Amino acid sequence: MLKAKRKLLNADKLQVPCGRPVVFEERCKGCRLCVEYCPKQVLEMSKDFNEKGYHYPQLKQGQEKDCINCGYCQEVCPDFAIYVEKVTS
Amino acid sequence: MRIGVFICHCGKNIAGVIDIKRLTNSVAELEEVYYATDYVYLCSEPGQKAIQDQIKELGLTHIVVAACSPKMHATTFAQALEDAGVNAYLLEIANIREQCSWVHPHEPEEATDKAFELIKAGVAKVGQAVPLQPLSVPLNRKVLVVGGGIAGIQAALDIANGGFDVYLVERTPSLGGHMAQLSETFPTLDCSSCILTPRMVEAAKHPKIHLYTYSEVKEVQGVVGQYKVKIEQKPRYVDPVKCTGCGDCTEVCPVIVPNEFEQNLGGRKAIYVPFSQAVPLKYTIDLENCLNTRKLVVCDQCYRACGPKAINYLMEPKEEEIEVGAIVVATGYDLMPVEDLKEYGGGLYPDVVSGLEFERLVTASGPTSGVVRRPSDGKIPKRIVFIQCAGSRDPEHGCAYCSKICCMYTAKHAFMFKHAVPDGEVFVFYIDVRAAGKGYEEFVQRVMEEERIAYLRGKVSKVFQRDDKLIVWGSDTLTGMAVEIEADMVVLAPAVVPSKGAKELAKLFKTPVNEYGFLDEVHPKLRPVESSAMGVYLAGAAQAPKDIPDSVSQASAAASKVLGLFSQEELALEPIKAEVNLDNCDGCALCVGVCPYGAISLVQDEPDGPRHIQVHKALCQGCGVCMATCPKEGVNVAGFTLAQLREQLRAMLK
Repeated sequence: MLKAKRKLLNADKLQVPCGRPVVFEERCKGCRLCVEYCPKQVLEMSKDFNEKGYHYPQLKQGQEKDCINCGYCQEVCPDFAIYVEKVTS
Repeated sequence: MRIGVFICHCGKNIAGVIDIKRLTNSVAELEEVYYATDYVYLCSEPGQKAIQDQIKELGLTHIVVAACSPKMHATTFAQALEDAGVNAYLLEIANIREQCSWVHPHEPEEATDKAFELIKAGVAKVGQAVPLQPLSVPLNRKVLVVGGGIAGIQAALDIANGGFDVYLVERTPSLGGHMAQLSETFPTLDCSSCILTPRMVEAAKHPKIHLYTYSEVKEVQGVVGQYKVKIEQKPRYVDPVKCTGCGDCTEVCPVIVPNEFEQNLGGRKAIYVPFSQAVPLKYTIDLENCLNTRKLVVCDQCYRACGPKAINYLMEPKEEEIEVGAIVVATGYDLMPVEDLKEYGGGLYPDVVSGLEFERLVTASGPTSGVVRRPSDGKIPKRIVFIQCAGSRDPEHGCAYCSKICCMYTAKHAFMFKHAVPDGEVFVFYIDVRAAGKGYEEFVQRVMEEERIAYLRGKVSKVFQRDDKLIVWGSDTLTGMAVEIEADMVVLAPAVVPSKGAKELAKLFKTPVNEYGFLDEVHPKLRPVESSAMGVYLAGAAQAPKDIPDSVSQASAAASKVLGLFSQEELALEPIKAEVNLDNCDGCALCVGVCPYGAISLVQDEPDGPRHIQVHKALCQGCGVCMATCPKEGVNVAGFTLAQLREQLRAMLK
C-alpha cells in the first residue's frame, strides 16, 4: 500500500533501452510465438489478414514505448518475419 | 583423606546473617572433616594464603570453601589449590551467600542450619571426588567473522593484521552494512562512506582475509578450536572473476525495481551493484526480478553488452566447508518496520519515513543526490516533524529498551535539513534527549540553539493526512499544551532490532539471545564480548543497539580475545566431560539421541562384539543429559559423577 503510493525518486536517471518491432506481414504464418513470449507483452495479433490469410503480430496501441529491445521475438520467429530496431532517444 | 572446610564471612554479607561461630563449630564436629575454620574475606590474598598454609601445614587433601557462588570465585580458589599442590577438582564450593544469607536475611537461625546442610553436602561430594587433568585439544588458528558491516570489517582487519586467516562472510552482495547507507556521522559530521570505503577496500585486498559476499552460513559443527562451518555462496549469475564492474550491463537492463540499499526510495536495475562504492565491485543479477527464469532466457541484453562475457544465467549455488577455531558474530541490526508504527502513520502515508530512509534522502549519493524530497510527489518539504522513541522505550511494541542512536541521528538530521533548506522548520518530539558520549551533548545543544530547532518534550498521539499535509497531534508536557502541527514530512526514529535471521544464526552458533533477540554476553560488565559458547565472540549492534565508535571498539575487543585464544600453544578444556563406564554400557544408545551437542556415537570394537558408546570429548559440554537419561549408570560426567551426587543428596537428607 505504502510502496505503491511512493515513486522512485531517481526514476529520471534510470534509462531503459527502447526498441521498435518491425513485422514482415507477408512472411507471417500466425503461429503467435512472438506474442506468447514477449516479456513485456507489447504484441497482439492483428484483426487484418495478410496475403496468406493469417493474422500477424502488431504493437499494442499505447504501448509503443514499452518494447525493451530484448529481441526475443526475432529469436523465436520460425519465419524471420519479425525483428527489432533499437530506438535511440 | 583430610578434608578442610573454610568458611567465609564476606564482610557482613554472610556473617551479618549466619552465626559463623556456631557454624564453624558444628562443621568441625563432622566426622569426615579434619579441619574447619573461618575468615573475613577468603577471596583476598591473605584469605587464599590462609587456605594454602593450612594445606601445607596439616596435609589437607580435599577442600570445601563455603562462600559466594562458584560463578564468582571458583577459579580463584581452584588456582589457590593448584598453587598449593592440590588438584583443582578436589575443591567444592558451598554457596552460602546467594543461596543462603542473601535470601534468608530475616531468619538467621534457620539460615545457619541451612548453611550447615550445604557444607555437609559439599563435604560428602568432595569425599567422592577424584583429581582431574585439563584436556588439551588442537587449535585451528583461523577465524570466521559473520557480518560485513563496520563491526565485522574491524574485527576481521584486526585479526588479519595479527597474522591469522579470516573468513569474512556477508549476506548481501557488498561489504559495508548500515554504515555505508549513512550520510554523515555524528557528532563530527564527517562523511560516512569517506571513512568506511577505505576500510572496505583494505578488508577485500588483505591477503589474510578471505571474502565471501552474497553468502550465508548454513551449518556449524564442533567446538572452540575446531569448528566446521558450511558456507553457501548464492549465485550472482555473474562470474566475479571475469566481471570488471564497468556497468555496461546495467545500462541495457530493461527492468527497474526498488533498491533495498536506498531503502526502496530509489530504483535499480535487475543486474546491479547496490551502490557505486560497493566492495567487491561485481555485478549481481537479481533473478527474482530479471525477465529470465532459470529455464528460459528471454532477454540477453546484459549478456550481449558484457565485454568479458561474465554473465552466466545458469550459475548454481556453491557450498564450501571451512574449518576455523573461533567465530566472531557481527550480524548487526535492522530498524523496526515503519508499517508496525501505524499510530504515527507508518505504512499508511508515503511521506512518513524512517530515520534510515531520511538518511538516504540527505545523502549526496542517495536517490535525490542529497536534495530532501518527499517520496509521494518529489516536492521539497518545508516543515518536518521528527518523532523519537517510535517503538523503543515502548513495551507495547515489545521494545522496552532505549535504541541509543536515535537522539543523536535525529539531531544530525535536523541540522542537515536546516542547512539544505534554510527556510525550513523542524520540530522534534522527544521523551528525553540521551546524548551520552564524547562531544554528543555539545552537538545536540549546538543544534538546538544555533539551528533553532524546536524540541517538544512529549509524545505524539496521532498522525493523519489532510490534503497533501500530514497533521501531527501531540502534547508538549513542558507547557502542558496539546499541539497540532501541519507538516510536509514526518520522520520516525524506529526501534533498533536485531537483524533478520540473527536469531536462527545464533542457534547455529549455540549462543543465547535475550528476550528481544540480541546476543547475550557471558557477563554484562566483565566479559562483554564473549558468548557463553566458548570460542564465539560478539561484536557490534547484534549484541545491543550501538553507535559506530562503540561497534568498532567492541569489534577490536572481540579481535583481541581471538588473538589471545590463538596465542596459546594448545587449547586447554575443562575436564568436566561425559565418560563411559564400559562395565555398565550395553549400547542401548538412548543417550546418543538426547545429546544436544552430537558428542556421543555408538561404536563396536570388534566386528561382532558388543556395542558401546564413545564420547567426543571436545564436543561434550558436560551438561549431563546423557547421565540423567542412561538407565544403567553407563555414563558419568567427570566431577559430577552419580556417586558424587548420590553422596551429596544423602548427606543433605540425613
